[in-house]
Amino acid sequence: MATRIAVPHARVSAVDGSVTRLLDAFARVPVAAVISRAEELPQALASQVPAVFFLRPPAFHLGPLVWAVQARGKMAFVHIDLIAGLGKDRAGIAFLAREIGVNGIITSHSALVAAAKAERVIAMQRLLLHDDLALPSALAALDHARPDIVEVLPGVIFPLVVDRIRARVPLPIIVGGFVTERGQRDAALERGALAISTGTTSLWP
Amino acid sequence: MAVRTPGLSGAMLPAIRDGSSLNQALDLGYRQVLVERGSLLAMLGPLVAAARQGIAIFVNLDGVAGLAGDSAALAFLATDLGFSGVLSVKPQLLRDASRFRLRTVQRIHALDSTGLETGLNSIVSPAPYAIAIAPAVAVPQVLGTIRLTTKAPVWGTGFVTSADQANEVLSAGADVVSSSHSEVWLDFIRIPLRSVVAQ
Repeated sequence: MATRIAVPHARVSAVDGSVTRLLDAFARVPVAAVISRAEELPQALASQVPAVFFLRPPAFHLGPLVWAVQARGKMAFVHIDLIAGLGKDRAGIAFLAREIGVNGIITSHSALVAAAKAERVIAMQRLLLHDDLALPSALAALDHARPDIVEVLPGVIFPLVVDRIRARVPLPIIVGGFVTERGQRDAALERGALAISTGTTSLWP
Repeated sequence: MAVRTPGLSGAMLPAIRDGSSLNQALDLGYRQVLVERGSLLAMLGPLVAAARQGIAIFVNLDGVAGLAGDSAALAFLATDLGFSGVLSVKPQLLRDASRFRLRTVQRIHALDSTGLETGLNSIVSPAPYAIAIAPAVAVPQVLGTIRLTTKAPVWGTGFVTSADQANEVLSAGADVVSSSHSEVWLDFIRIPLRSVVAQ
């Protein structure tokens, strides 16, 4: 016998994919909360952070988390490369944009940046700096993809490469990855980062 | 299984990407190199000559072009070329490599705490010859976490552009530091591996 499943009406009326709104918010409070476990969400909701980055919750349980963030007037971003259960493709992006209604998508893949822009959500591309010999090709890919925002990881590399990144791609930069102390946060902001992203709750204002 | 190829003896591992950077490292007296980028096939001749002279050659399988990530490629590196070992983020590839008597170095991207956790969970048996943290400059921030998981020697690779940075990575507890900058190589020619000193 077929079981009747109640499907909540999840569709959002309009996705707010406004980059300007995000830039204005970060100008006031330059910190994004990185959430890798749902238990951390209440603290992020209670804080002043204007944006929450979801790192790896299962895609099909994401809706209530995203909507809770948006109900607090914050913007919700989802890292599509890491969340479980979702195709890392156009259909996956369309699901996040249309059904969940995320404000933006984080990815390290240029093809997904294009898909996110086509869905009119904010496209944030991760620049993963593990190898200096890979930097030129990574910057070329970034220049080609032209996301709305770049997230540079790990934070300790940012001061070493900020000038080279800026020379190639004049985009707002968020610095993340092992940003666990106030000194690191301040150093990134002093060198011109738009904001930092961190899972360290003591750095959430 | 006995491994007959040479292992590492020095704390600095020059990262090379072509024949000219290989020659630079060898001219300085280095007996070990890491082929980090570039086409392995384009520098095959000089690499084979170096391996025959007992130079320890390690290959970053995630970085070099021209090789498939399969058994045929590993057999070629081990048997035909006599290289000492391989690096990769892919545990299965390393497991295969160990069957060909290659030393295996588990690469771990230290980009954020989630990624580090994933990387540390990927360490499989047999125990790797070493783990390589990329970027090296993150070693001071992550070595404590790493030591909770593994006692394997730690290499730091990537974004070491000055002797000061190389020293920071070593004093933070890394056993080996790798740099692609030949200016940095100059200062570390005679610095032996810590474990070699201890023996």
